[in-house]
Amino acid sequence: MMKRLLSLVCMLMGVVSLSAQQLPDVKIENAQGKIVSMRSIAKGKPMIISYWSITCKPCIQELNAINDALEEWREEADFEVVAISTDDARMKASAKTIASSRGWDFICLYDDKQTLKRAMNVSLTPQSFVVDANGKVVFSHSGYTPGSEQLLFDKILELKKKK
Amino acid sequence: MKRIILLIAGICAITSVAAQVQVGEGQVSGSLESNTIYYMDDSKIGETPEDRFGSNNYLKVDYSNGRFSAGIQANAFLPVLQGYEDLATGHKFYLASKYIQWQDDNFELMVGDIFDQLGNGLIFRSFEDRQLGLNNSLEGIRGLYNFNNYVQVKGMYGRPRLYTDYADTWVRAADLSVSLSDIFSWDAALFNVEGSYVNRNQSLSLDPMMDFSTSGLTNPNLNMYSGRVNFGWNGLSLRGEYVEKGKDLAATSTTATSGNALLGEVGYSHNTFSVMATFRQLDNMATRLSLYDSGIGNTLNYLPALTRQYTYMLANLNPYQVNTEGEIGGQVDACYSIRNKDDRYRYWNMHVNYSTFYTLHASQTERGKNERLWQDFNFDVERQWNKQLKTIFLYSFQEWNPTHGYKHRTYVSNVFVGDVTYKFNRKNSLRVEAQYLWSDEYEGDWVAGLVEYSMAPKWSIFFSDMYNIDLTKTNYYNGGFSYTHNRTRVQLSYGRNRAGYVCSGGVCRFSPAYTGFNLVLTSSF
Repeated sequence: MMKRLLSLVCMLMGVVSLSAQQLPDVKIENAQGKIVSMRSIAKGKPMIISYWSITCKPCIQELNAINDALEEWREEADFEVVAISTDDARMKASAKTIASSRGWDFICLYDDKQTLKRAMNVSLTPQSFVVDANGKVVFSHSGYTPGSEQLLFDKILELKKKK
Repeated sequence: MKRIILLIAGICAITSVAAQVQVGEGQVSGSLESNTIYYMDDSKIGETPEDRFGSNNYLKVDYSNGRFSAGIQANAFLPVLQGYEDLATGHKFYLASKYIQWQDDNFELMVGDIFDQLGNGLIFRSFEDRQLGLNNSLEGIRGLYNFNNYVQVKGMYGRPRLYTDYADTWVRAADLSVSLSDIFSWDAALFNVEGSYVNRNQSLSLDPMMDFSTSGLTNPNLNMYSGRVNFGWNGLSLRGEYVEKGKDLAATSTTATSGNALLGEVGYSHNTFSVMATFRQLDNMATRLSLYDSGIGNTLNYLPALTRQYTYMLANLNPYQVNTEGEIGGQVDACYSIRNKDDRYRYWNMHVNYSTFYTLHASQTERGKNERLWQDFNFDVERQWNKQLKTIFLYSFQEWNPTHGYKHRTYVSNVFVGDVTYKFNRKNSLRVEAQYLWSDEYEGDWVAGLVEYSMAPKWSIFFSDMYNIDLTKTNYYNGGFSYTHNRTRVQLSYGRNRAGYVCSGGVCRFSPAYTGFNLVLTSSF
């Protein structure tokens, strides 16, 4: 059984060369309840995408930390921050309540059917991505420890230097 | 030991690839999740499982090329973890999902295992929850067409997955959404009218030992209808859904009954103040995929508990379990934030929540009067003092009914939580939690604590303990560390875990107590 699993993995490994993933063009709900296309959010700017949910305490810590530092970061680079809630029908209302009251100075989207989450292969939250101006995922990071938000901004600065 | 080495080798092979991979013009991406436990002897909590080793593994691989995408997910139980025995017995390796999809600007066609939801999920939701061991995806075909954002139509047809196999059931569903705000160009508002239809077809003569006619069920077709309205304007939002369901036989019932549900929600937000109130009534809405099977994976719709979900151990000891036979209630959730205009590192976040539910029919109870099923009043105050220090205080008053409303008797508990995070510098931080549950009933008082030291962005070590003071006098300790490298995270812990319920979508899995080592790995490429 394990051999079959390993064979499958080896087959995949055998045909690969590394490259960056394109942001999937999945339809998703915005804060006003309208359905928007993920690629229409990009608008030619680099983005930090951060997945969160009501029951994920470190996710909310990470978004608060990004929000705290955002003013200083935006003085150095032009980019967007997108918070994607994976809360389903049970918690979506609470997620919207939290997002509107926290003063988060960024775009909030709601993936209650978890279509985008599946498409981007997010199996645990927090999970954050840095996407370049062409919609290519150039960096991603799982989990959150206070201070690790700086990694995301460092990648944004790297993108700025490459321009 | 050989199994552990093989498992680690497999994991290392996958995690060695830390980015997406290019195949021809397209690209391959994927994820791996592995949850492995080595069970140890512990006379305090009961018998050790015969096979001390359990490992649930999920590998998902997707290929995309322009508008085309395809993918598979393989699950391997080596063997299945304790508590998930309904999912599989012993070792099992199987293809859990596969799909091919074409997505254009205005239409979408998918063949394979479908994950989708209609409205709020009251009549249909196919989803995967690995913690619950639930995957009820629909193997079939789905088509969607969107006309200028004015009208969207969707149709699905297929047979649902039931654990590691498929149910002898066919499900067809149709969904229509009309955006009046787009049609009439009301840019500042959102106004949608929606409707859905779901049909479940299953022969009633598959098992000669089961005679459904004695329960009043003679029609192999179950029909369900949903009507919805969504409105949003200037910080105000309104949402409503009404559902009708034909005659069906619930797992806990001997008589077939028809059902209905009503959901209403109103929300308002202005600057940093936000409030949301939700009302819901459920009447015989539990809907199985198959009339011949049972268990938590055998569910076609989604009926979640509309209560606050906590991240603190003691506040989660006795979660509310939805009474799908009949319940009425709702919750109110309000948040307010006071922020310092000159200093983004100074603010107060305040959150108040109240939820309560009652039985719907007097016939559900011993006294013949409707009984309270649940009540929770809670609030938390978060204070960011400066760049270094943050404190949180939470209080929760919970009242729960151990007989799901049959008896009048309820248990009350008061939970107090203090949570302090201190950042020494940009990389090092310490978080401490202290919790106390005060109750004169059930298991009496509990105390719990957690210490977590993090070295960003890779390392975190933690230790927690939960102790029942009055009845069992048992410690539930847990300690371990986690290591993160980009998209890969490994967590190794050792501890004693309390038996309890993990709930989602109106279904709860009983998770047995165990003591042992737990290795959790997640990675994506």
